[in-house]
Amino acid sequence: MKSARRRQSNWTAYAFLTPWLIGFFCLTLGPMLGSLYLSLTQYNLLSPPQWIGTENYRQIFTQDGTFTASLLLTFKYVFLSVPLRLMFALAIALALNKGIRALGIYRTVYYIPSLLGGSVAIAIVWRQIFDGSGALNQFLAWFGINGPSWISHPDYIVYTIVSLSTWQFGSAMVIFLAGLKQVPADLYEASQIDGAGKVKQFFRITLPMLSPVLFFNLVMSIINSFQAFTPAYVIGDGRGGPLDATMFYTLYLYLKGFSFFDMGYASALAWIMLVIIGAFTALVFLTSRFWVFYGDQEGR
Amino acid sequence: MSMFSKKGKRWMTGLSALTVTLLLSACSGGSGGPAAQQAGGGETSETTGGQTELRMMWWGDQKRADTTNQAIKLFEQKNPDIKVMGEFAPSTGYFDKLNTQLASGTAPDVFFLGGNVTDYASKGVLLDLTPYVGNELKLEQMDQSLVEYGTLGGKLVNVSAGANARGIVVNKTLFEKAGMPIPEDGWNWDDYARISKELSDKLDGVAGTYNFTFDGMDIFLKQNGKQLYDMENEALGFEEADILPWYQYWDETTQNGGVVSPEMQVSNPPNDTAKTLLITSGVGMTLIPSNQLAAFQNLTEDELILVQVPRGPKGTGVVFESSQGLSAYAKTEHPEAVAKLIDFWINDADAAKILGSDRGVPVTAANRELLQKDASPADLIVYDYTSRVSEAAEKENFVVSYNIPGGAEFTKLGETTVQEIGFGRKSVEQAVSDFYKGAQQIFAKNKTSAQ
Repeated sequence: MKSARRRQSNWTAYAFLTPWLIGFFCLTLGPMLGSLYLSLTQYNLLSPPQWIGTENYRQIFTQDGTFTASLLLTFKYVFLSVPLRLMFALAIALALNKGIRALGIYRTVYYIPSLLGGSVAIAIVWRQIFDGSGALNQFLAWFGINGPSWISHPDYIVYTIVSLSTWQFGSAMVIFLAGLKQVPADLYEASQIDGAGKVKQFFRITLPMLSPVLFFNLVMSIINSFQAFTPAYVIGDGRGGPLDATMFYTLYLYLKGFSFFDMGYASALAWIMLVIIGAFTALVFLTSRFWVFYGDQEGR
Repeated sequence: MSMFSKKGKRWMTGLSALTVTLLLSACSGGSGGPAAQQAGGGETSETTGGQTELRMMWWGDQKRADTTNQAIKLFEQKNPDIKVMGEFAPSTGYFDKLNTQLASGTAPDVFFLGGNVTDYASKGVLLDLTPYVGNELKLEQMDQSLVEYGTLGGKLVNVSAGANARGIVVNKTLFEKAGMPIPEDGWNWDDYARISKELSDKLDGVAGTYNFTFDGMDIFLKQNGKQLYDMENEALGFEEADILPWYQYWDETTQNGGVVSPEMQVSNPPNDTAKTLLITSGVGMTLIPSNQLAAFQNLTEDELILVQVPRGPKGTGVVFESSQGLSAYAKTEHPEAVAKLIDFWINDADAAKILGSDRGVPVTAANRELLQKDASPADLIVYDYTSRVSEAAEKENFVVSYNIPGGAEFTKLGETTVQEIGFGRKSVEQAVSDFYKGAQQIFAKNKTSAQ
C-alpha cells in the first residue's frame, strides 16, 4: 500500500517534469546521440550518412592544421577573457557594494551590455569602434597615436573580441553583488577591531566568503567562452578571416557543417569540444576543494 | 498527497499517463520521413483554396530585394492562381541558410545559385526541368550557350537569370586627375602592374588595384591554356607550377606598391557595395563581374568604365557566361508552377524592365534589345563591354568553367592563402604549395561525396 502510494506520487512528479523531460529527450539528448552517430559517418547534409568509423577523428587529430589552430585560438581567448571579465565584474561589484544611492540604476546600466552583448547589433557597433577610422583611433589620434585597424589585422582582431567579452561582465557582476550582500557585516567589524586594513579584509574575508560565487562564475564563464561564436562571426568576416584570426572553434565547426557540406566532421569536432569543456569543468571542480570555502565549514 | 481527494488522485493518474504518452510520442514525431516534415513545417508550399503557394529565395542587397519583390507581384497578377513568397539573405549567409533548409527538407521551391550549381547538382537536390521545356518553360529565345551552362549530366538544373563577363573596372576620373592615359583593351599584365604602380605613386591615398589573385586565378589559367576544374575528366585542371607565376606576379606588384594593403582589403572588401574603395575614390582598378558596374556607379560621382582583362598568351580568357540562375528544389510539390515562374523570369518583357541588369544582362535577345533602348549610361557601358567580349570570343574562344566541387571550402582556402602571403606569414612558394595540397584534398573529398 505504501509503495503503491509512493509510485503514484512519483508519477505525479514525472507528470510535472514532463515539459522539461520532453525538452531534454527531444531537444538535447536525442540530437546529442544523433550527432555522436553522425560523427562516425561521412555526411554531406544532402545525401544519407555513410558509416566510416573513427575516420573523422583520425583526420582531425592527424591532418587538420585548422583544427589545431582554432583550438589554440579558442584557448587563448578563454584564458584572456575569463579572468579579465571576472576581475572587472568583481571590481565593479565591490564599488557598487558601498551602499551608494541609486544602486538599482547603476546595476542596470552595468548589466545592460550582458543583455545586448550576445546580439549581433553590439558586435556591429564594436566593428565600427575598432575599425581603422573608427572611434577608438580617432580618440587615439588626439594623443598623436596612429592606431592600426584593430579588426582587419590578424594580430589584433582577437583582442578586439576579448575586449567585447570583457565589457559583458554584467551577469557575473550581479551574481558577485548578491554574494557580497551575504557576507556578514560582523566579520568586517571584528576584523577592524583586530586592526585589519581594507586590503587584508578583502583577501581574508571578502574573497574567501565570496569563493563559492566566484566558483560558479568561473565555471559558467569558462563554458560560455569556449562556445563563443557570435563575436567571431560578426566582427570577423564570418569565414574565420582575416587569416583565420577569428577562426574560433565553434566557427570552424559551423563552417565545416553548414558551408562545407561536412556535417559528420563537424559533429566529431563538436564531441571533441564537449570533452574539452568537460575536462576543464572537472578540473575547476577538482581544484575547488582547495580554494572554495563554504560558510558552514568550520575551521578552514 | 492527502490534499487530493480520491477523485482527484484518479484524475492525477490520468493526467500523468497522458503526459507520459505525450512525452514518448513527442520525440518520435520529429523523426518522420521528409513527407511528415513537409506537412509539419507550415513553411513549405501548400495549396490553399485552389491557390498554389511557392517560396522563392535569392541573395543580395535591399535594392535587389525591392525589384525582385516587384517582379514577383507582377507574376502573381498575371497568374492569379499562384502565390509566391519571397525570402532573401545577404550573400555571405545565403548558402548556409540554403544548405540548412535543404538538409531539413524545408528548402524553397525556387532559389538562385551561382557558379556553385555543380555542388548542388551532384547531390541530387535540384529538379530536372527538362520535362517542362517547351510547355511551361520556353527556352527558344534564350542563348544556347546559357542553356547548356545549366545542363549538367544531361539534366536541365539551372536556368540562367542573367549573363555577364568579368572585366577590369577603371575609375576614369582618377586617371584624369593623375594625368594618365585611360587603359584600353589589348593591354597585358606587365602594363597592368606598371599602371597600378604609377597611379598609386601619382595620387595620394589611392591604390592602383585591389589584389585579385584568387578571383582572377581561373582567368589566368585559361589565358595559359589550363583551367580550374576539368569537368569532363573530373579532375583539377591545373598543376602547382601553373599557378605559382600568378601568385609571384601579385606578390611582386604588391611589393612595388601598386596594390591595396592586405588590411585595407580586409576592412574594405572589393565586392561589398557599402565599403568598397571603388566608391570612395580609393582604388583605381579591379576585377568585377560586369553586372556589378551599375551598382557601384550608383554610389559614386566618379566615372567608372569597363576595360577588357589584360591579355595572356592565349588571350583574355574571359567569356560571356551565366552570372546566376534559377534552380528548382527536387522535392517541390508544384513543379509546373515553378517552371511557369522561371519562364516568366527570363521571357516576360515587363519583368525584364523591372529587374533590369542587376543580375546580369537578360538571357534572351529580345529582352536585351528592350533594355538597351532606355538604358542608363552605366548600363550602356555594360552592354558595350559584353558585346566587345562576345566579339572577341568569336576569334579566341574559351570554354565556360564551373567552380570545383567543394567551392565554398576552396574559396576560403584561396582567400586565406592570399592573406598568408600578404601578411608575410608564408613565402609565396610555401603558400602556393600548401594551397595546392589543400585544393587536392578538398577536391578529392567532394568528388567522392558527390557519388
